[in-house]
Amino acid sequence: MRNILTIFRKEWDRVIKDKRLVFSVMLLPGLMIFILYSFIGGAIQTRVLNLETRLALINEPAGFVTLVDTLTGDDGWEYQSDDAESISTYKLHIDSGNWELLIIFPNDFDEAVNAKEIPEIEIYYNPNEPASSQLYSQYLRYLSTYHQQLSLAVYGDTQAFSLTVDSLPIDETKQTGMMVSMLLPMLVLMFLFAGAMGIGPEAIAGEKERGTIATLLITPVKRSEIAMGKVLGLSVLSLISACSSFLGILVSLPKLFAGEDIDMSIYSFTDYLQILLLLFSTVFVIVGIISIVSAYAKNMKEAGTLILPFYLLTILIGVTSMFGQQAAANPWLYIIPLYNSVQTLIAIFTFDPSSWLYTVITILSNIAYLVLFVFILNRMFKSEKIMFSK
Amino acid sequence: MEPILQVNAISKTFNLSKKQQKIEATKDKIKVALNRLSFNAYPREIYGLLGPNGAGKTTALRCISTLIKPDSGEITLNGFSVTSQEDEVRSEIGFLTSDLKLEEFFTPNYLFDYFSALHGVDPEVAKSRKKLLFAKFGIDRFAEVKVGELSTGMRQKVQIVIALVHDPDIIVFDEPTNGLDILTAKVVTDYLRELRDAGKTIVVSTHIFSLAERLCDRVGIIIDGQLMYETQLTETNRSEANLEELLFRLVEESEARKHA
Repeated sequence: MRNILTIFRKEWDRVIKDKRLVFSVMLLPGLMIFILYSFIGGAIQTRVLNLETRLALINEPAGFVTLVDTLTGDDGWEYQSDDAESISTYKLHIDSGNWELLIIFPNDFDEAVNAKEIPEIEIYYNPNEPASSQLYSQYLRYLSTYHQQLSLAVYGDTQAFSLTVDSLPIDETKQTGMMVSMLLPMLVLMFLFAGAMGIGPEAIAGEKERGTIATLLITPVKRSEIAMGKVLGLSVLSLISACSSFLGILVSLPKLFAGEDIDMSIYSFTDYLQILLLLFSTVFVIVGIISIVSAYAKNMKEAGTLILPFYLLTILIGVTSMFGQQAAANPWLYIIPLYNSVQTLIAIFTFDPSSWLYTVITILSNIAYLVLFVFILNRMFKSEKIMFSK
Repeated sequence: MEPILQVNAISKTFNLSKKQQKIEATKDKIKVALNRLSFNAYPREIYGLLGPNGAGKTTALRCISTLIKPDSGEITLNGFSVTSQEDEVRSEIGFLTSDLKLEEFFTPNYLFDYFSALHGVDPEVAKSRKKLLFAKFGIDRFAEVKVGELSTGMRQKVQIVIALVHDPDIIVFDEPTNGLDILTAKVVTDYLRELRDAGKTIVVSTHIFSLAERLCDRVGIIIDGQLMYETQLTETNRSEANLEELLFRLVEESEARKHA
């Protein structure tokens, strides 16, 4: 145990005593995510806000204006009221993207409706312009509502049946949980892997490449202790890196989902503790994989190349969180490495009552994988072909 | 006197890749590095393993130091088997070769403490040993300078000191003065003699015969992985023994046997 801690401390010092590594391993991931997500959120928000709503109405009936006033509420709306002579000018403006929508009501619209004629409303928009398309869809809905309103007034109730929908009020917490569970498990797994990938190859393949591993291998320390010390050191550092990324995600989520009500305080301290435990066990698996690949590789460059497919596979596993609305119910699935972490995270984020059961199964199976990986690493450290191949 | 190191008929072969076959200019897929090599080393002795490049000297020392395993044969060190009691052997031996590097990020001070801890040396003992060795090799002024920033000579001195953190009974040095300036080389050879006089066993490999003549008590000449000649260097024969000429003759005989 003493040797494991000695090797752990050296791996820790290698990073913590190097200001550049402290910055790149511990601060940069969170900072980058915060900047990136804030920028993406800001850009989306700016795009939404900047969508032009230049609308022209020709012969607009007062009833329609009142209805839209009601429907838009506090947000309000603006339009240009004009006469039929300007129609061709507006159409040219819409074609060139300078104007968004034109709605032309017939001159005697109200009279025609009351006379039970069917007056024709003409809409002109540009489907190639996102702002124009969006405004078209919006006003089509208003016109549909106006249509129903007028039909009721002129023809009476013509509906074959009425519909009453009854349900519980929307559970905001559950809604947020589902939204978070679709995105975060993938991101967390990606950042865990990326954090470990940043330091793992250096600690093993790098030592092989530089010849420093041989100096370690001629000490009387057991190979299994070397493996454990390395894996433990890399795991703690990777976890810190992942926590930095996780913090970056949490802080930038409100900016990324600007407009959506994302409140991460719906999760309790126990939930976060559960997540931390889960992440720590997951990092063992990831570091184990990276360490084995790094031990096999002849140098850091080869290690980077060999690790890449595992990274892509990890992202693929992470993406599965986007397809399910809830965590898998079959406990056996929680022994599949990495997939178990994704599913358990979904269970925690969606307040699944079995989340603790899944967490325990996942942690236990991840520890079993850790033992297996240390055993393999131990064998690899003993192999002269692997350790001293040029 | 009982030998402290017994190398008994060890053989070692390596598979050659296509690239290595090209470099070695051979069609053989297997290279015999050691061919039933045997020799002994005793306490208070500096044993020199001499031979041309590629003779198998470094392979023999790597087998002794547990870095690689012989295919056959047996090595015992202070009674411990190199193949089945590796950890015990590693506690008894100090090995230095150019293949063993130190992490350039750390300082000599940090690395001495780190390797002392890995060898299980008591912190107080390690502290006084560090003071002694750093002073002897002039490292004390550079104790807090990162290894990567040290000169080549100073870096080698640090490597020597790190190999001795646990005060081993047997010290194995592969080409001990390679790359060292004349003054540093003298410090190293003087210290090896000092260690010998303190009762340690030292095994060195070298292709510099003048060094062997000056330093070693006994030498073995190794050619193509086999021990071809072994002799005690006494005060009388040390000056007479022209090891270089002897080597040329042995190589010629070996070549002749191969082509016969």
